[in-house]
Amino acid sequence: MANFLIWVVWVVAAFACLASALAVVSFRNPFYSALSLIGNLASLAVLFLLLSGEFVAAGQVLVYGGAVMVMFLFVIAYLGDRSEDSPWSGGPSWQIVGAVLAGGALLAEVCVVVGLKAGGLLSSTQQVDRSFGSPESIGKLFLTDHLLAFEITSVVLLVAAVGGVVLGSHARQMEGDARS
Amino acid sequence: MNAAAWTCLLLPLGAAVAITLCGTRISRRFAGYLATTAALAAFGAAIVAFIIMLGESPDERAHTTTSWTWLSAGPYHFGLTLLTDQLSMMMMLIVAGVGSLIVAYSVGYMDGEDEERRYFAYISLFVFSMLLLVQSGNLLLLLAGWGMVGLSSYLLIGFHQERPSAIAAAKKAFVMNAFGDATMALSLFLLIQHTGQLDYAGVFATAPHGGTVANMIALGLLGGALAKSAQLPLHTWLPDAMEGPTPVSALIHAATMVTAGVYLIVRCHTLFENAYVIQDLAAGLGAATLLMAGLIALVQVDIKRVIAYSTMSQIGFMFVGAGLGAYPNAMFHLMTHAFFKALLFMAAGLAIHAIVGEQDIRQLSGIGKLMPFTKIVFLVGSLALVGIPPFSGFFSKDSILASALDHGWYGIVIFVAGLIGTFLTGIYAFRLYFIVFTGEPTAFAREHFHRHQGKEAPFAMRWPVALLALLAAIAGFLQFAPEWHPLTTWLDPVAPPLVEPTSTQEWLASALAILAGVSGMAVSWAIYSAKRVRAPKPVHLFERKFYWDELYDLIWYRPADLVARGLYAFIEKPLIAGSLAAVSGGAGFGSRELGRAQNGLVRSYALALASGLAVLIVVFVSAR
Amino acid sequence: MHGPDIQWYVVLSALLFATGALGVMLRRSPLIILLSIEIMLNSANLLLIAFSRLHGREDGQIFAISVMAVAASEVVVGLGLIVAMGRRNVELDVDKLRTLRG
Repeated sequence: MANFLIWVVWVVAAFACLASALAVVSFRNPFYSALSLIGNLASLAVLFLLLSGEFVAAGQVLVYGGAVMVMFLFVIAYLGDRSEDSPWSGGPSWQIVGAVLAGGALLAEVCVVVGLKAGGLLSSTQQVDRSFGSPESIGKLFLTDHLLAFEITSVVLLVAAVGGVVLGSHARQMEGDARS
Repeated sequence: MNAAAWTCLLLPLGAAVAITLCGTRISRRFAGYLATTAALAAFGAAIVAFIIMLGESPDERAHTTTSWTWLSAGPYHFGLTLLTDQLSMMMMLIVAGVGSLIVAYSVGYMDGEDEERRYFAYISLFVFSMLLLVQSGNLLLLLAGWGMVGLSSYLLIGFHQERPSAIAAAKKAFVMNAFGDATMALSLFLLIQHTGQLDYAGVFATAPHGGTVANMIALGLLGGALAKSAQLPLHTWLPDAMEGPTPVSALIHAATMVTAGVYLIVRCHTLFENAYVIQDLAAGLGAATLLMAGLIALVQVDIKRVIAYSTMSQIGFMFVGAGLGAYPNAMFHLMTHAFFKALLFMAAGLAIHAIVGEQDIRQLSGIGKLMPFTKIVFLVGSLALVGIPPFSGFFSKDSILASALDHGWYGIVIFVAGLIGTFLTGIYAFRLYFIVFTGEPTAFAREHFHRHQGKEAPFAMRWPVALLALLAAIAGFLQFAPEWHPLTTWLDPVAPPLVEPTSTQEWLASALAILAGVSGMAVSWAIYSAKRVRAPKPVHLFERKFYWDELYDLIWYRPADLVARGLYAFIEKPLIAGSLAAVSGGAGFGSRELGRAQNGLVRSYALALASGLAVLIVVFVSAR
Repeated sequence: MHGPDIQWYVVLSALLFATGALGVMLRRSPLIILLSIEIMLNSANLLLIAFSRLHGREDGQIFAISVMAVAASEVVVGLGLIVAMGRRNVELDVDKLRTLRG
């Protein structure tokens, strides 16, 4: 019974994930694409939960969905409705064919390579206890084994913040010059 | 003795090097004096050597001296060896003596030329090279001297570099001489193969007798002699060589270089006697040349060309002498010819120098009245040339004709040819004399004649000419074959003659020769001086020099030109230049096509990234 | 607790990645391209979490959190550029932004 439920949730979440991803790349209106991406992120969070990654799922929703996507929506709203007439056209004639082929090749390759090379590792799922994926274990790992990654990530975030401010103020300065 | 020989050889070289190194630091005049002093000192050294040699007994007169081993390859050793024996002594005296007179004359002739120093450097180089040729003790050093006289000749013919005709003439002379050098080198290869050495004594003792190899050797040497002495068939360069200054024509193309072929045959007479067919061939070619040159000289209108063809003809006589085995006679004629031919050229040079370089006899006609000294010396030279006693040509030429009578029916044919040649000599020599030096001066001559400080020529030019005229007059008395022959005795240890004409034959030959010569003179007197008989129209065949130049153009020049053009069109342009163009074109093509990938579209770049990634995954996975 | 095996997650992640790649290669608006890049990053995250679960270690989850942080930073910069372009009235079409052509 529980297994069946898991399977149902998984199928629904996976389907929503794929559908929203396709929607992102297909919509003409960027607003709709951004909303579809929010859907994608939500379904991914569900999948994370199924994989016992509670902290990551929460982080996904909060950070990605709450901060990044909101930023996207703000920018789209600021820029106005710049819908493209024909989003897929333009560029060299072989662009579409080449893109589809390359994408298909990558898809096939990932599957095949992982299947071939992983060997027997893929068969047995480990047993985990309740604290797997909990905030405490993640936190502990961050501050012990992966301290360096932690610090560097924070530096990267700092740099991004500074960059954002610079980009924003620079634009304001130029705008000021243009007006006066 | 050895010191004298080395001094004689090296002084002119020293002068050449000194003039070259000093360059413009010395005046032009001084360069001339330096060259003249060196040549006179060389002559002095030769006299010293001669006096020493006179005091020795005839068997001991061959001296060799080697300074060091020049080439050493396996069992073969060739040294810088000088040989001073009777034959080389005679040549040394002629070369250094006549040479120094002509160098002294050039001081006056070339006065005022811009490039006078270069001239004297070259002419000193020539004197050195010629002395090296005659003094060398082995065939290899002779070949070295041979090549160097060819070089000096090239440099001096092309002395007036601004004239394209002079440059072309220099090239022609050099190329034809190079052909002769090549045949000589082949013959030296055969000699090394069959005897293992090139020293005269050794080679002459051990060379093969008769057979194909001996013929090949002699033929190769003959080829070199024909080229250097401008005999048939390698004669076409000599008339063109008159582009050089007149003293050059006198020294190189009359007295010394062109006689090197005769010297070679006499020196290597053993090799030629081993191949008597070739020796007879030499005599035959000499006879043919003397007839042909005589006929061509009848119609020439350039004063120097007449004398040049006369040289060709007289060397033909010398080749006849050497070819028949009358070596002392050939050498005697070489000596007297050096005197009177140099005299003729230098006298012509006096006239040319006085009348702004004009050489056409129709323009120069009648200047004898304006230049009496020149007229007299030219007359002396012409009489010597024709062979009228008591002038020197008579004694030397007639003895060659006499020796032809001692050689069977082939000799008789040559004798007749020689008589006809003497007849022709009489005509053309006195045609020249009568046209140029008798009669009234033309308007051109009067207008352009200028005296040098009141005299017709500077003293520097006159005294060598006068001295040569004296020698041309009296040198013949050195040997009068039927009665006294010190020269034959002198040369006997080195080059014993093969033919011994009897006294009767000698007197007969002399009488007939004088008859032929005088009748020739009479014919030209009738036509050109007394004007009793109208001059016949010039024969086209003679004017075109028997079409030899056209023949060589057809055989050698056209095919070579075609080959060169063909190579250019089919190999050089498409393959060599084309491959370069293909490389650069290919690079351009490649870069242009590759540049199409940089179209600036982000999407294409993204596609490229994705495709590259896809490929790389496959590569890395399959490589593991 | 069972559920889909890891292979399902691999396939799903690959499909998401391919979709994101198609979006990058085929859309003209820089905004949509950024969104497609987000999809690709998320697909990688999914795979990381899945393998972390398979091996029973949380290191994959740590990696995924770092990826999220980096993705956020990159979006900040990218959107800053797009806003700057929008302010100067540059047309938001990558086909028109061609000055890097060779």
